[in-house]
Amino acid sequence: MDSLAAVDWAAYEQQALSAISGDALEDARVKYLGRKSELAQALRGVRDKESGMLLNGVKARLEAAVTAREHQLELAARRAAADSGVDVTIPGTPVTRGRLHLLTQIRREIEDIFLGMGYEVWDGPEVVTVWENFDALNTDQGHPSRSKLDTFYLDDDTLLRTQTSPDQIKAMLTRTPPIYMVSPGRVYRRDTPDATHSPTFQQVECLAVDRGITLADLRGTVQQYFRQLFGPDRDVRMRTSFFPFTEPSVEFDVTCFLCDGRGCAVCKHSGWIEMGGAGWVDPDVFRTVGLDPDDWQGFAFGFGIERIAMLRHGLPDLRAFWENDVRILGQF
Amino acid sequence: MKVPVSWLREYVELTLPVEELARRLVFTSCEVDRIVRRGVVDVDGNYGHFVVGKVVEAAKHPNADKLQLTKVDVGDGEPRSIVCGAWNFGAGATVAVVTPGAVMPGDFRIEQRKLRGEVSDGMILSERELELGTDHGGIMLLADELAAGTPLADVLPLGDDILEIETLYNRPDLTSIYGIAREVAALTGATLEPVPGADPARDGDEAFSLAIDDLDACPRFIARVFRDVAVGDSPAWLKGRLMGAGMRPISNVVDITNYVMLALGSPLHAYDGDTLRGGIVVRRAGPKEQLVTLDGTARELDPADLVIADHERPIGLAGVMGGENTEVSATTTSVVLETANFEPLTVIRSGERHRMRSEAQTRWEKGVDPEAAALAATYASQLLVEIAGARWTGETELRAEPAPPTRIAYRPQYANATVGLEISEDEQRERLARLGFHITDDWEVTVPTWRARDVRRDIDVVEEVGRFRLEDVPATLPRRQAMYGRLTHEQRLRRLVADVLVGAGMYEAYTYSLQHDDPDPNALELPEPLSSQQRVLRTTLATGLLGAAQHNLDMGNGDVALFEIAHVYLPPGPVPDEHWRVGGIVQGDYFRARGLVEAVFAALNVEPTFTRADLARELAVAATVQSGWVATYAPGVGPEGEWSAFELDLAELFALVPERVTYRDVITYPPVRQDLAFVVDEAVPAGDLIAAAREAAGEELREARFLSDYRGDQIPAGKKSVAFSVAFQSAERTLSDDDAARLRAAIVSELQSRFGAELRG
Ligand SMILES: [Zn+2]
Repeated sequence: MDSLAAVDWAAYEQQALSAISGDALEDARVKYLGRKSELAQALRGVRDKESGMLLNGVKARLEAAVTAREHQLELAARRAAADSGVDVTIPGTPVTRGRLHLLTQIRREIEDIFLGMGYEVWDGPEVVTVWENFDALNTDQGHPSRSKLDTFYLDDDTLLRTQTSPDQIKAMLTRTPPIYMVSPGRVYRRDTPDATHSPTFQQVECLAVDRGITLADLRGTVQQYFRQLFGPDRDVRMRTSFFPFTEPSVEFDVTCFLCDGRGCAVCKHSGWIEMGGAGWVDPDVFRTVGLDPDDWQGFAFGFGIERIAMLRHGLPDLRAFWENDVRILGQF
Repeated sequence: MKVPVSWLREYVELTLPVEELARRLVFTSCEVDRIVRRGVVDVDGNYGHFVVGKVVEAAKHPNADKLQLTKVDVGDGEPRSIVCGAWNFGAGATVAVVTPGAVMPGDFRIEQRKLRGEVSDGMILSERELELGTDHGGIMLLADELAAGTPLADVLPLGDDILEIETLYNRPDLTSIYGIAREVAALTGATLEPVPGADPARDGDEAFSLAIDDLDACPRFIARVFRDVAVGDSPAWLKGRLMGAGMRPISNVVDITNYVMLALGSPLHAYDGDTLRGGIVVRRAGPKEQLVTLDGTARELDPADLVIADHERPIGLAGVMGGENTEVSATTTSVVLETANFEPLTVIRSGERHRMRSEAQTRWEKGVDPEAAALAATYASQLLVEIAGARWTGETELRAEPAPPTRIAYRPQYANATVGLEISEDEQRERLARLGFHITDDWEVTVPTWRARDVRRDIDVVEEVGRFRLEDVPATLPRRQAMYGRLTHEQRLRRLVADVLVGAGMYEAYTYSLQHDDPDPNALELPEPLSSQQRVLRTTLATGLLGAAQHNLDMGNGDVALFEIAHVYLPPGPVPDEHWRVGGIVQGDYFRARGLVEAVFAALNVEPTFTRADLARELAVAATVQSGWVATYAPGVGPEGEWSAFELDLAELFALVPERVTYRDVITYPPVRQDLAFVVDEAVPAGDLIAAAREAAGEELREARFLSDYRGDQIPAGKKSVAFSVAFQSAERTLSDDDAARLRAAIVSELQSRFGAELRG
């Protein structure tokens, strides 16, 4: 009993744990848990329950610590064996992957912004009637866009759409308002290809038809959209314009996102970039599709996808989009 | 249109700096491309270097045969020595002089310098150097009564700011300086001067024979006759104005017609009265009639062309260009002046037919104020009398009944409801009045004739007041009663297909809808294509993708794998059926392309079935699969090397996609797996064997996977061994060995009876 009383078992446990956590695990185990250890000797002399509980508790904790430490050392040893000085700077095993075309990436981004604002995405056909592309959109007979020098006709009544706006007509003819939709797609104009012109390009049309829509709603919507696309500090301004199917008509500019409006070569030092055309839906267009302009009002706007891609990514030549050189496709 | 600011100032006071005016016009009225300077810049006292000079002496330069050495008095003491290359003057001439220190147009600085040993202390100016004309034959001679030292700016339009504007389709009224002045007055509140021009005294009573065959196409024609016209050079102010507006001075008579057109927007034409045979008839062209237009081109007229003719022949293409046969020349003394109204469509069609473009035509096409014809005749008459010394001796006018003025019942609140901004009634009334509208107390709005084409309804009036406040419109959002915003099922699947192919290593391509050729002989063709490379509306994506593959090969790019998701246009027309398709092209064999198709089907949860097919002669190996095909191009078709392709119709494919996938228990009871190998005739497709096995074993065959297709040792000639692995599994119970044996026996017997297949040991 004397020997038991003489040992400070809390200090013994501390010393043992400290030794176990060191590198000489076996030595520590022999010294503190082995047959000749003070603990083993003391346990052999235990007679009362209290001392038994105390010493067995110490023993159990130390044994657990030894097991845990054994496991730890074993893992370390295995890791050391596995890492035979691998050069981690060597490239990984190649995984073949492709890319979405830049125009698709931007188109999806635009679609997603509008989806988030509660608009549906509309797919319209590219070959439409003269009625859908011009007449229903209030375009008078003398308007230059009707000219065979500007537009691809299949026959006197059929053409390749010059704008995504026929989708406005198709949507209003088939949907019951309210209508909130965007329509991205290919459009066609008789432009000889060069760095900034292509006979085919992508446009996005946006149409909102509801009660009490104003030009202020147009400005707000365009602004929200461009802030999503180009950053939170962008502003939108409207200038007077003419489109046959909107009245009033405006052009809209966005704060230059390359110079933050301070002025640079891209924005011709104006701080603004022309982005597209817009306006309040002409009441005659509503009448054409059988909607009462006293009940329904709307706005529409349109802009080009290529232009956004070129400005944002610094592409100098529109034709690159159609050449499909994987060295360019792979950059984005 | 180029707008000399000094000209604009003649009609309206400009209180704003030109830059600010341009900035505001951009919001309210028209594009302003830029502001440029014509002539001499008026900064840092530069104008002070330009003065009137008197030539005191003039003689050949002692050391140069082509130069004159002169002494010129510019009113500042001793006459200056100036070397000059022109010979159209001598001592006593009154000339324009620029002294050292001046900056000339084009940023060229005048300095005192020595020319062949003689000092030249300035320069004697020609019209061209001041951008007042294009003549560089000699120096400019000024009126002799001018005193030496008189500032040149008091005598000539030395320089001017030019606004280069682009007018909108609905604003033909802005194709004249006076129209722009009216707009500026409405914008700034400045007073607009009255329309320029007052009829001179009539000096004669000549009858002039005039007839109009088609009053719809030409509702108005005014012919005025002038005698004793002295054709010559225009005065400097007139040349300066025309040059500033981008037109070349020709002769005083022609310049006056151009000047008045620019001032008032109504085109005019002057005929040499002595060349006219009889009077003027406005009529359609006769068959095969010819006209040599002023640009020197002989044109065969179309019976739909409206022409101005005399009693024998056409003398002009109405609204487009006059004819050489009646052109005003240096010897002309009698002038017949035309002002008129021509309907836009007639002019547009003639312009298209003859591929012509002229300043006059541009205005007629947009629609000219019908009342401006008389104003233009008046102003031009005044100038012909004043500048060309003409006598006005006769006039004939024909006119259809003019359209009554447009009256619109308007509510000022309509503007507020449309624009989303409160615009006061006073502001609306004031703005409209300044634009030339007449407004009654109860808001009946009468539209001025120069806006009659564009402003027809109350909403058009809204634009007239709203466009001046666009900068102030707030940014709000629609107040919505319902919200939605998701892709359709088809749109989501389309994105999925693209993502699967990108993940499988393909690059997305965009190729043209218009191709040089198409395999479908009925494919729709453009009657007038832009080029032979883009003339057919494609019925397949394959043509464009082959081209894109070729381009990549040409560029030296390896391992090309491209896909496209786009429309094809299926005949018959006129409006084709447009289908979304996915097409792909890869460098490699059939199985590489087929693997990609399988990946798409797997992503869509559709089991593909491939069937050998003979699709086209360009294809070496080809198979159909639901909604499309997979194939390898025959050698020599398309790019160098082995290329395979596929194309799937997305609507057909998506129709096969299960609406929703229902849970199957593949966890509770374990599958029994076995490998089976059969010897069959070489011609039997492996796919048919597996399909038959599925049929024979039914629901409990959960999986059948192709393993190998083997010919050679141990297999008789003409035969092959096809191996596949199967997994039998039930959702209700663990399958016993007996169950497995039964299912296997069913497969073996089915394949035996259908294909003569022998199970290999
Ligand atoms: Zn910028």
